[in-house]
Formats: sequence, C-alpha cells, structure tokens
Amino acid sequence: MGTFLQLVVDGLATGSIYAALALAIVLVNQSTGMINFAQGGMAVLSAYIAYVLTGWGVPLILAIVGAVVVSFALGAVVERLLVRRFEGGDPDTAIVVTIGLLTLVTGVCAWIWGYNNILFPSLFPLDTVDVLGAVVSIRSIGTILTIVVIMVLLQVLFIGTKLGLALRAVSFNPQSAALSGLPVGRLLMVGWGLAAALGAVAGALVAPELTLTPGMLDTSLVYALAAVIIGGLNSPIGAVVAAWAIGVLENLASVYIPLIGHDLKVVVPFILVFVVLILRPQGLFGRKVVVRV
Amino acid sequence: MTLLELTDVTAFYGPVQVLDGVSLEVPDGGAVGILGANGAGKTTTLRAISGMVRAGGRIVFDGYDIRGSRPEQTAHLGIAHVPEGRGTVGQFTVRENLRMGAYLRRDRRGIAEDVEYCLDLFPQLRERISSHGGMLSGGEQQMLAIARAFMAKPRLLMLDEASLGLAPGTAKTVYESIRRLRLETGIALLVVEQNANLAFSLVDTATVLETGRSVLTGTSAELKGMDEIRRAYLGG
Amino acid sequence: MSRTADFLAHRWVRLAIVLIVIVVLAILPLVLPVFANQTLTRIGVYAVAVLGLNVVMGYTGVVSLGQIFFVGLGAYVTAYGVVNDWNIVLVFVAACVFSGIVGLVIALAAARLGGLAIAMVTIALPIIGVPLAKRLSDVTGGSQGVSARFSDAPDWTGLYNDQWQLYIVILITAIAFVAGRNLVRGKFGRAFAIVKENEAVAVSMGVSPYRYKVLAFTIAALFGGASGFLYMVAVQYTSPETLSFSHSISLVAAMVIGGAGSIVGSLLGGVYYVLVPQATNAIDPNLTTISQGVILLVILFVLPGGLVSLPRVIRRLARRARPPAGGIQEEGTVRPPSEGIGEERQAGPPAGGTEREERQGQA
Repeated sequence: MGTFLQLVVDGLATGSIYAALALAIVLVNQSTGMINFAQGGMAVLSAYIAYVLTGWGVPLILAIVGAVVVSFALGAVVERLLVRRFEGGDPDTAIVVTIGLLTLVTGVCAWIWGYNNILFPSLFPLDTVDVLGAVVSIRSIGTILTIVVIMVLLQVLFIGTKLGLALRAVSFNPQSAALSGLPVGRLLMVGWGLAAALGAVAGALVAPELTLTPGMLDTSLVYALAAVIIGGLNSPIGAVVAAWAIGVLENLASVYIPLIGHDLKVVVPFILVFVVLILRPQGLFGRKVVVRV
Repeated sequence: MTLLELTDVTAFYGPVQVLDGVSLEVPDGGAVGILGANGAGKTTTLRAISGMVRAGGRIVFDGYDIRGSRPEQTAHLGIAHVPEGRGTVGQFTVRENLRMGAYLRRDRRGIAEDVEYCLDLFPQLRERISSHGGMLSGGEQQMLAIARAFMAKPRLLMLDEASLGLAPGTAKTVYESIRRLRLETGIALLVVEQNANLAFSLVDTATVLETGRSVLTGTSAELKGMDEIRRAYLGG
Repeated sequence: MSRTADFLAHRWVRLAIVLIVIVVLAILPLVLPVFANQTLTRIGVYAVAVLGLNVVMGYTGVVSLGQIFFVGLGAYVTAYGVVNDWNIVLVFVAACVFSGIVGLVIALAAARLGGLAIAMVTIALPIIGVPLAKRLSDVTGGSQGVSARFSDAPDWTGLYNDQWQLYIVILITAIAFVAGRNLVRGKFGRAFAIVKENEAVAVSMGVSPYRYKVLAFTIAALFGGASGFLYMVAVQYTSPETLSFSHSISLVAAMVIGGAGSIVGSLLGGVYYVLVPQATNAIDPNLTTISQGVILLVILFVLPGGLVSLPRVIRRLARRARPPAGGIQEEGTVRPPSEGIGEERQAGPPAGGTEREERQGQA
C-alpha cells in the first residue's frame, strides 16, 4: 500500500509537469491553431534563464519569477516574428516550423551552456513526509500544488477577466473579434506568452530532479502531446486529467508490470493514446470537428 | 455632413477583380442601401470599408482616410460591421457576445445601460442571455449579431444580408428593430440586402451595383419607381 | 517554355546527360580521395532515407517523425544477417522487406487516424525503439550495439574499401532514386498528391486516402530499410543511438531543406544531412544544433520549397509581375500568399481565398 501511494503521488507530480506543458500546448493550439513542438524546449530555456539568475545571487523564487516574466516576453516575440507568418496555413508546415524552433532553442541552450548536466536548486525541501505508511516527497506534493494553483489562476483569468474574454474570443473566432475592435495580433502574442510562462514554471519545477540539460524536456513533451491527444485538442481540463493519468499509470506500470518495467515505461502513454483513439477518435473530452469540403 | 464616402473603390481576390469602381455616400445619421445581384460585389464593398479586404480608390470616414485600415482600426473609429457570418462567437453566451461587442469601451455604467437597451430591443435575447450563440435560432443569431455590433456604440452600422436565411416574418421583425434602433439612437446605416422591399422600408437612398461597379444611385422613392429596378429586384 | 526546357526536351540530350552521369559515377570513386568517397557514401545512405520520408510526408502529406526507426531497423537486420553469414543479396532484401512489413503493419493500424495522431504514432517508433533495442540485447547487442564487417572490398576487384563501399552505395541509391522517380511520376504519384491536397476530394474521385497512405508509409519504411543496409555498408556498426528521435527530426529538417515533394530535393536533403553537421562540427560542435535550427527556419521563411526550388524562385524574381491592387486581409493581419512545403506539387487555389474567410465567420 505504501509503495502504491508513493507511486501515485510521484506519478501525479511528474504528471503535473506534463499537465503544464499540455496546457501550454492547448493554449497555443486554441489561439493560433498550431501544435508547438518547441514548447518543452522553450521551457528548458526558461529554466536555464532561472539558473543564470540564481548564479547572479537572486533568490531562487525570484529567479523563477524572473524567468517566467522573461519567458512571457520571449513567447510573445516568437509568435510575432516567427510564427505569425505560418498561422492559418498548411498545418504540416506549421509542425516543421515549430520543429525548427525546437532545434533552434535547443541549439541556443547547447551553445551557451553545453550539453553537460547542470544541477538546478530545488524550490522545495528534499525531505519526505509519512502519509499512510508511504514515504512521500515534499517536492512531489509541492509540484502538484503549484501546478494546481496555476491552473486555477488561469481559469480565473480566462473566465472572469476582460483579457480572458478577449483571448477566448480570438481563439474561437478571430474575425468576429477583429470586427469588435479586439487587437487580434497582440492577443495572439499574449496567448503564446502565457504558454511560455507556463512552460517556465514547469521547467523550473522539474529541473532539480532531471538536471538541467538542453534535451531535458524532450521526453516530457511527448507525454504532454499524448495527454493533449487523449484529453482532446480543445479541452484544457481533458489535457490536465490525461496528463495526471499518464503520470500515475506510467509509474504503476513500471513497477507492477514487469514486462514493461522501468526502461520501457515510455510505452504507456502510447498505449493509452492508441486505446483512447480507437474508442473515441476525438479524445476523451474533445468535441467532434466537422470538416467541410 | 457626409459620414462615409467611397470614390471609385476597387478590390481584388487574388487575380480576380471584384470591385471596379464603387462610389457611394452615407450622410451622418442617414440610411443607405446597397442593392445588386449575387456576385455584384455588395459584400466585398462592406469588407473594403471595414478593412477585411484591402482595396484601392478612396474611402473616407468621418474625415479620415481609412483605405488600407484593418478591422480593429475601423472599429476604433466607429464602424460596426455585421458580416455575412454574423460576426458573433458561437462558443460565447449571449452576454459574453455583448461584452465582446463593448470591448473598446470603458464606461461600465454606459455598457450596462446599453446591454439593457439591446435586451429591450430584442426581447428574445433576454430569455436566452445565458445560452451559447451557436444554440440560438437563425433570427436570434441575427439579433445577437446586430446587438453585438451596437454595443460598440458605433456611428455607422453596416449590415450584410440581415435577412439571409430568415423566415419572412422574422426578417420583418428584425428590420423593424433596426428601424427603431435608428430612430432612437440616430445611428447611420449602410445595408446590403437582396430583398429590395425590406431594404426600401429602411433606407433613404440606395446604390445599385453591377459587376463591381455602382451603376445607379437614388432615393428609395425614385428607385422604387423605376421599371428596371422593379423588374430586377421587386419582382416586376 | 524557357530555352533550358526546350533544350532538355530533346530525347538524345536527355540520353546524353544520363550517359555522362553514369560515366562520372563510375569513375568518381577511383579518382577521389578516401575522405571524399566516405562522405559521398554517407550522402547516399541518407539520401535514400530522405527519399523514403519524402514519399510519405512530402508527396502524400503524412507527417512521419519516425523515419529513422526504419533506418535503424534495416541496419539491425543487416547486422543480424551478416553475423549469421547470410548471402549478401539476401541480407539486403531482408533489410528492405522486414522494414517494409513493419511499416505496413504500423500503417494499417494508424493510417485512419487524424494528422496529429499519426504524428504521435511515428514519434513512438524511435522513442520506444531505443529502449527496446537496448532490451532485446540477444538480438541487438543491447546498448553496446553490434558490429558487422562485410563491406571490405573483395580481392578480385582490386579496389580499396572506401571505393567498393561507394560503388555499392551508388548502385543501390541510383536504383532507389530511379524507382522513386518512376513511382511519383506515375499514377501512384498523382494519387498521393490528391490525398495530400484534400482527402474528401480524393474519396470523391475514387482514390482511397487510407490505402494510399498505407502504401506510401510502407514504401517509406522499405526505403528506410534499404538506407539502413547502406548505413551498415558505410559504418559497419549499429547501436540504439542509430535510431534516436533527434535523428528523425534531422531527417525531416533535411527533407524540407532539400525540398519536400521533390526527388532531386531528396538528394539535396541527403547532401545537407551529411555536409552541414560535418562543417559545423569542425568549427565548434556546440554550434551544430543552433545552425541547423537557423537554416531550417530561414529556408521555411525564404525558400519554403527547399533548396531545389532555388532556380525556379530566381527565375520568378527576374520576371517582375504586376502586384495586384487589393487582396484579402484576415483578422487584422496581412498574410502573404503562403507556400507550404512541397509547393511544387500543390495545385490548389491561392491562399487567402474566400472559403478561408467564410470558415472563420461563424455565428
């Protein structure tokens, strides 16, 4: 029982990281219609920025906040200068563009900081706590709580504020939004900025555990994509729930299913994707999209 | 005073020329109709004005040269365009659509008053205030579209085929509401309408477009009296 | 038609060019230094891989981020065959066929899924493939990989190893490219193009998108397997690292940079894949990734049809066309007519047409 609980909590923690990335991907997809394969790479760059700030003597929490702010700006700039040209165009081209962005961002990290693993300080103490006989790490709990709080804040932003209304309007119907005077271009930048900021938080939270290296979130991105597909491309809640499920099931499978084991646990999200897509092609929470000829 | 003036406006979709010399005038507080057959360029004219389509020629609104402006900019100047697709957001509720319409405004009390006015003008919307736009009937969607545009407190309201897809009774109701709106607020109207009878019931003057060119302009009374107009648009 | 096209239209001119190319290819390995031969060999290896990727992604529009998996698979099958002393031709056939069958099975299951889902399935291949290769160590040699020396030049040829290897690669690459060219020029190619353009239209024309996607994917896997064989000819060693996901991304980048939807572009893609990292690694290894990202993005912005479209673009720039007086603006942003990758195969309407606006104008 103890092991089980531990695996579940740790799974929720890693799942929270996937959830943050998945949420960022959904956000970008809803506003600009693209799947951003570079979301993880950008988050890694954000973590490096936080690392640099701590190197300048900035306390960790402020360094993370600083990285979040810088990432917001970077995300907005990327949308305006790089991505804007390809929105509304051929989706395959859009994928390749974000792949190019991923390569560029990874390359920048590699060029500046090299490929060595860098130790990143942990925001949460490394102690553990005894819950129902299980040894649960404070970091896991802290990660889960942080992500949950951020999601609640995002929900408040989107449902309760004028900016949130504007962001949603632009993602649902940019033409109508423009006719009402909404600054569509600026709002698209905000969408990408928010996504990048989300990624920054995820990167900073997971870096202590994975150690900082340019390819740190490559695998996590794949999990996040799986969560987005399972949860439905246009459902933020679905993506988050799916991400948590992937995190937990992956952990459980690695221990309780010897055939999969620890080295092949990466198979779990793909099996889930396969199963869900066979049963419900639009994802668990998604809406069916009608395509007109 | 002339609120809107188009002079020899041209427009292309890629290599295809859709507007080839459109000229018209809308006086401040006036109501002007654009008539013509399908494909004559009526919709494109409105799009050229609001900035959805880049156009050539001269477009002057309230003294400003707005040719080449984008929709966000013309909305700022006081042009509200209700396009063919209605311009609402189906995933928003009626209330959210109205809030979106008022996006450019900051006067909270004024916005609340105008929401009340719209619900008074279109009582059906009051009942459906929390329904999603996509779930409204055709007539209700058109009403929502007009309300959305009005919430910006524009000086010029442009309507593209407001009667499209509506049953005759519903279309008449909508047009009556528009007439009442004009009377009570002094807003200027530019109306594209296939149904010439409905149009003439609302507008003071009208321009007839043919293959992208304005070929005839006159008051409603004059045009209604012309044989060609009667035959072409009023069923003889 | 331009003067060049007129010139090339003559049959004997084309024949002469082919003859010249054959002669050059026959002599080249004998005169070039070892390093050049080795580089050309590796170019051939990856050109075939990019060609396969082009068939499924460039021509048919199915995003595949797993092409490298089939290359690795072909390499491992080759290693297995060599270690077990099979006939060399049999090894080659086995590498192609085994990869092709695996590709076929995967495609049969996945081809009905939407675009993102297919991309995920292809991502799964290298991501699961690497730990799987490590785990099946009896067959694959695990993390250590497996060596297979088989491409040393036989004594009767009197050639050096690098020359012999280059001849093999030239031969198989040429066969692959001729086969590929005939494939896309014929009715299959047209079917692929229709499926890429608009699946609903394809269905109405009696072209089954599912069937042709499966076919394209299988062919890509087959070419990948062949590429894997050639890889073993050149490198004589394979490991799980061979089929890592980052290589898959590099293949996609190479395809786009060379020219998606183009046979010659595939060759250019192979050239890019080999030469550019070689150059940047010589300057500074940490520079390699960032330069690749920059090049890919620059190409997407400036030359979306890839390097192969450069002559065409230069010709078009020389012929200044009259700019139209108006155009479509959407949602407040001005969009230039977009040229998607694989542009030379697209015959669709110019971007920004009426249908696109209508699609966004929902109540």
